[in-house]
Amino acid sequence: MTPAELRAHIAADYAAVRPLPSPLLRALWVAPFALLALLAAPAFFNVRSDAAQLGWRTLWGASLLQFGIGFVLIAAALRESIPGRAWTSGQLLLWIAGPLLTLIVLTLSTAAVSEIPLGARVWWRVGAMCLAGSAAMALPIVALANVLAARAYPTRPLITGLLVGLGAGLMADAGWRIFCHFGEPAHVLSAHLGGVIVAAASGATLAFTLRTPAR
Amino acid sequence: MIDDRALRELMGEYQQGRFEAVDDLFAALAPVLRRYLIAHARDGARADDLVQDVFLQLHRARHTYDPAYPVMPWVMAIARHVWLMDQRTRARRPWASEDVTEMELPARGEAAAYTEKADVRRALDQVAPSRRDAVIQHHVWGHSFKHIAGKAGITETAAKLRSSRGMAQLRMLLKGHGPQKAQKP
Repeated sequence: MTPAELRAHIAADYAAVRPLPSPLLRALWVAPFALLALLAAPAFFNVRSDAAQLGWRTLWGASLLQFGIGFVLIAAALRESIPGRAWTSGQLLLWIAGPLLTLIVLTLSTAAVSEIPLGARVWWRVGAMCLAGSAAMALPIVALANVLAARAYPTRPLITGLLVGLGAGLMADAGWRIFCHFGEPAHVLSAHLGGVIVAAASGATLAFTLRTPAR
Repeated sequence: MIDDRALRELMGEYQQGRFEAVDDLFAALAPVLRRYLIAHARDGARADDLVQDVFLQLHRARHTYDPAYPVMPWVMAIARHVWLMDQRTRARRPWASEDVTEMELPARGEAAAYTEKADVRRALDQVAPSRRDAVIQHHVWGHSFKHIAGKAGITETAAKLRSSRGMAQLRMLLKGHGPQKAQKP
């Protein structure tokens, strides 16, 4: 292709475009789905039985903190999808390890106030339900946020999708932990964290599927 | 050194629909991109192809440029992406990295013997039209890939790829691995 042909090619579909809004503003698009994920489980099922013992701060406060971190992660993923504004390896490590560490700290601090153990008989069944439930609640957010990311130009789709999925998983689990009656760390750190990891994997897979073809 | 303020203005105009900004951007960015891509590809012709690809991608991604930020990191991120994708494509299809005219194609020798034979016609008939055109234009009429690419509105690499895939398919068909016997008489 000569420069003249390139020019003609560009001219063929040339039109004015509006620059994308900031990643934080774009992340607001997922807010309705995220709020639904936060409130659906406690609204449709129940609030956990030790809610009074935990108090507002440990129950809703911790969930809102987790929800906020998830939202910021989605914004970080949308920033990652813009060429030239990708995160460095160190920053990425912080974006991934920080929220997971927060989830562990919240789990342990909640268990320190009230730890309802899960009987061995139902351990796997309840675990599977929590894993599937929190992952399923995250999926609409994963899908929408990935579409938003794909509308930019993600040069590292797997990383973008991973951040999207991690954020969506945290937001969905923030609601699920308000409903789940069992604060036993082994349950939360396997089933609930497993749900977040499944959401992150789904995010990466979807982002890779929607990736920008370069040629 | 390119003046970032001037580039930002040009990008702004490009986004707003002033087509002349494309030429100014090309003039400003092409030498830098070419140097960057030559450093990676170590091949001037390939670097030229990639520069064109980078501009096509810049055009596609122009809405992602935020005028509040410098232009060069945005441009170089896209250039790096194009380079990496090109590397990946070549790694997956090693035959695409070679110049087909330089490759040893056993079918060339065989084709001479088959030239007048109906088998070749039948086999060619079964090759996908875009590949068939590339094979005929290059191997029969002797046109360069640049010429073929220009006529078809594709990149030179894509023209080479079509031709090499067409030849591979043709070889298979002539060896009797394909469904050629079931087709036209």
